Amino acid sequence: MTAAPGVTAGFAQEIAAVVEQLRHITVQVRTRRAATGAGILWNTGEPEGSGLVITNAHVVPGNQATIELGDGSVARARVVARDPKRDLAALEVELEPARTTAAAVVRDSPLHVGELVIAIGHPGGFVGAATLGIVHADESARDGRTPRWVRADVRLAPGFSGGPLADAAGRLVGVNTMIQGSLALAVPAAAVAAWVRRPRALVAS
Amino acid sequence: MSTVLQSLSTELADAVESAGRAVVAIHARRRIPASGVHWRAGVVVATHHTINRDDNITVTLPDGTTAPATLAGRDPSTDLAVLKLAAQNLSTATLRSDTPPTVGELVIALGRPGPSVTASWGVVSRVDGPWRTWHGAEIDSLLRLDVAIYDGFSGGPLIDAAGRVLGINTSALARGVPVTIPVATVERVVTELLERGSIRRAYLGIGTQPVRVPASLARKVELKSDVALLIVSLESGGPADRDGLLLGDVLLELDGTPVSDPTDVLAQLGGDRVGRPIAARVIRGGQVKTLQVTPGERPTSRAA
Repeated sequence: MTAAPGVTAGFAQEIAAVVEQLRHITVQVRTRRAATGAGILWNTGEPEGSGLVITNAHVVPGNQATIELGDGSVARARVVARDPKRDLAALEVELEPARTTAAAVVRDSPLHVGELVIAIGHPGGFVGAATLGIVHADESARDGRTPRWVRADVRLAPGFSGGPLADAAGRLVGVNTMIQGSLALAVPAAAVAAWVRRPRALVAS
Repeated sequence: MSTVLQSLSTELADAVESAGRAVVAIHARRRIPASGVHWRAGVVVATHHTINRDDNITVTLPDGTTAPATLAGRDPSTDLAVLKLAAQNLSTATLRSDTPPTVGELVIALGRPGPSVTASWGVVSRVDGPWRTWHGAEIDSLLRLDVAIYDGFSGGPLIDAAGRVLGINTSALARGVPVTIPVATVERVVTELLERGSIRRAYLGIGTQPVRVPASLARKVELKSDVALLIVSLESGGPADRDGLLLGDVLLELDGTPVSDPTDVLAQLGGDRVGRPIAARVIRGGQVKTLQVTPGERPTSRAA
């Protein structure tokens, strides 16, 4: 049962590469007082216009926030939509046009229980921390409706809220939102995409 | 592209998918159901502590249908229970009994606390030799996990990265810490429960506590160990009482084997001891005496 040499080393390198890629779409969200959580760069607004950051509603209690991108640049952001029930918030952010930052790529194929997932967040002010886990349960199995949560066996801490949960290829599968015992609950990326697409959603509340 | 990472991810999902086809949900308590494994054709293994009733048990199969199940027997000492199921097209678990798990091995705990399968992963954190549960059952090897547990996971299988079953998980044998009952123990218990409906264990009807034997006395009676067991309780009319053991006797040996811990007594009380006299060497009033005691068959869920 001996594995081919270098499998573990290859695994380590690849995981580091996916984490690096994910750090580029993960932002820090700060309100007046302190860093409150993470956010996902949903689109960069290229070639023109404002970028959009998705995070949890509980991460931005007010209407203003400061966003720090993965490369260290800081921008002001304004809440343009909020859904406390889904715990989602959308922030419009003015990005410098020269910056070609990558935006999140949403996975559209269904998730399978047992597949690998990676979460990025900023626990305890530690920026860009990553944890690895697996999909715990597949809720879409139930009568074809959009599942409320992606449940993952991945260890999160406060500071991961609003950040990305991604698959082994770095595609977004959810927005990390809650910790339930030893499990992580994330809003499914497909539900976020549908929410962002709804014209009504993007009205400031 | 990241090939190793994605292959691993796919293989883990495949292992969950294939092993999950033999994992069922057991409805035999209030609130959330627990898990069970279709171990042999028509035979489901579950955990004793998650089956709160003997009748009216139903099982949710991987295809979402529900089927009635009957309790074939339970063994509180290993926390295992066996159910019989008139299953038609249900796959049986693939068991890994040739190579034992190793410390650090990647494992997945599967469950079905509802219609769909759930998984958490981690590594085997400890592998050790045989151990005895506090009810006295011998488990062939100790398997401890670094795996997050969740409601309803008891009764589910621990699988390896290839989807083969390494044992049944339970949180009831080590104060809520998850342990895995290895395949060999499950096989043994399943066979006996199917034959007899219970696990036969001998018992004496005594409660004991370790005590130090005074050095002078230990020298006088040539003891190997200076710790023995003081009999602190005696079941009235039980086997030990009937055969003349008294409260305050200090038990030195059973069948020639020194006893210095209550588990040493349990170790002498396997099912084959029922009805066969064994020699008990005791200190009574400063004198060493040997008595013949005949263990009875232990009523369900009673200690030594």
